[in-house]
Amino acid sequence: MTPFQHVRHRLSRHLINGSILTFAYLFLLGPILFVALASFDYGQRAYVVFPPEHFTLDAYRHIPLKYFEALWFSVKVAVACTAMACLIGIPASLGLVRSNLPYKSFLLALLRVPLQIPGVVAGLAFLQAYYAIGATTGWYATGTFWGLAIAHTFAATPFVIGTLVALLQRFDSSLEEAALALGASAWGTFKQITLPVLKPGLFTGALYAFMISFTDVPIGVFLTGPDHVTFPVEIFNAMQFDFEPTILAVSTVVTVLSLACVLLVQRMVGLDVFVKTGGAD
Amino acid sequence: MKLRWDLVLLPAMLISLALLGTSQFVFLTGSLHRDLGMGRLAHTLSLDNYTELASDSYYLTTLKLSIMVSAIATALTLLLAFPVAYIIARMKSRWGLALLAAVVVSSFVSIVVKVLGLILIFSANGPFNKLLIALGVIDAPVSLIGTLTGVVLGLMHYSLGFAVLLFYSVVITVPRSLEEAAQGMGASRAGVFRQVILPMCLPGLVGGALVIFNVSMGGFTSTALIGAGKVLTIPVVIERTMLLENNYGTAAALAALLLITVLVINLASVAVVSRIRRGLIL
Repeated sequence: MTPFQHVRHRLSRHLINGSILTFAYLFLLGPILFVALASFDYGQRAYVVFPPEHFTLDAYRHIPLKYFEALWFSVKVAVACTAMACLIGIPASLGLVRSNLPYKSFLLALLRVPLQIPGVVAGLAFLQAYYAIGATTGWYATGTFWGLAIAHTFAATPFVIGTLVALLQRFDSSLEEAALALGASAWGTFKQITLPVLKPGLFTGALYAFMISFTDVPIGVFLTGPDHVTFPVEIFNAMQFDFEPTILAVSTVVTVLSLACVLLVQRMVGLDVFVKTGGAD
Repeated sequence: MKLRWDLVLLPAMLISLALLGTSQFVFLTGSLHRDLGMGRLAHTLSLDNYTELASDSYYLTTLKLSIMVSAIATALTLLLAFPVAYIIARMKSRWGLALLAAVVVSSFVSIVVKVLGLILIFSANGPFNKLLIALGVIDAPVSLIGTLTGVVLGLMHYSLGFAVLLFYSVVITVPRSLEEAAQGMGASRAGVFRQVILPMCLPGLVGGALVIFNVSMGGFTSTALIGAGKVLTIPVVIERTMLLENNYGTAAALAALLLITVLVINLASVAVVSRIRRGLIL
């Protein structure tokens, strides 16, 4: 191969790689950017014009109150879901990795079963379970805050357990033994050694749990009531029945807020934990 | 003092199993009671709901459509995600990390927002149609709403991100030196791909493909919105049967069918991947 052929060969390879990447990332990120772009072109019509005809913030000024109410409800549900998922997930992962029980991998597989259950099946299952519980106790959890938060916890807990178990399995427990041997109390050891080591996994797992709840549609479709609708379900309904340009604006607001959250967590623990545990989808 | 870790695990394990057990038990038994209409169920146990699913061509078409759409989406996602993951894994600059970060960050954006964007881009007045008309590929705008193509695109968009992350973690286990050695010994790029990369990535590829297929089979949000009531896959029909028609028994039987399909594919994937690893297949 002459030097010229070599350069041409490398150039064509770069060109092919570049086009594949451009195509994939345009497909992946284009829709998100396009929603933001279209939100600045506000018109009284049921579709979007491209390229935008005007630049205005009108869509942002006209966002109906119901979207903010739904947003606030979603945040509350997601916070409750995250708290419960951590309360179950932290002792479960610590107990599972540290104990010397038999069939550990089976127990872990059992804890991870909810990952395999499609959202629609989980939503239907919890709705029918709430009906059955309501029929015997008289208390119906359908359409309530806790009814939704519990179903989301079911779906989100495996993510907390997944990140924590992955971290704990690499964790050298001789550090803790050394602290104990040097006279630290059990609580002191947990606070000074265990917790700092677990922190990245905990933040990552908690962020996953929050986002599972915050972006969920299939479970929410079954479990939201007329008074309590989560934000994604509200948008889902709006897209099915009455498209308004304001949903572009409020979607953009939520996207920016979500990304700010991810950035914040990334600042605290670094992004490589995410890459290792593989996305929130 | 030695901490009893099994006692730490116990309450968490019990709560998890209670959530799993209650929810799954109730709907699975519900699927064994015949619908009487108006949301009421018969008291006697029977397999009526399942025989209805098996005999009614509507449900059989739904199942076939779900499998077809998921299979196409899986194949196309695989064809796009693997090269992307491979290119990123072999990048020598910091760009690779930035590209992975973009995938991770995009996975935190709500799916309804992504589907909204997809619908806008591929709508009749959207930039995609404008581009095709400008290039002379088509004369009149084509809409993807309510079409199979649109639904497949939605499912691809849903699984592309984690497929790239998944295959990235597979490709980085193949040492670059191995490829260089093969090339040094005179193998062509296609030869390196066929004889080094493909065999070493095969377990990850098969496992990943089955994960994507499963996720596509369960995909609801994008299919419901883009399918717009014209493309009925199992998850969409489950939602309609339960919430619009109030046929709890039939909906539960459909959900059981979907759950069993997904679980069987999962077990098969574990078995197939371990057989490939041990060199028993291929």
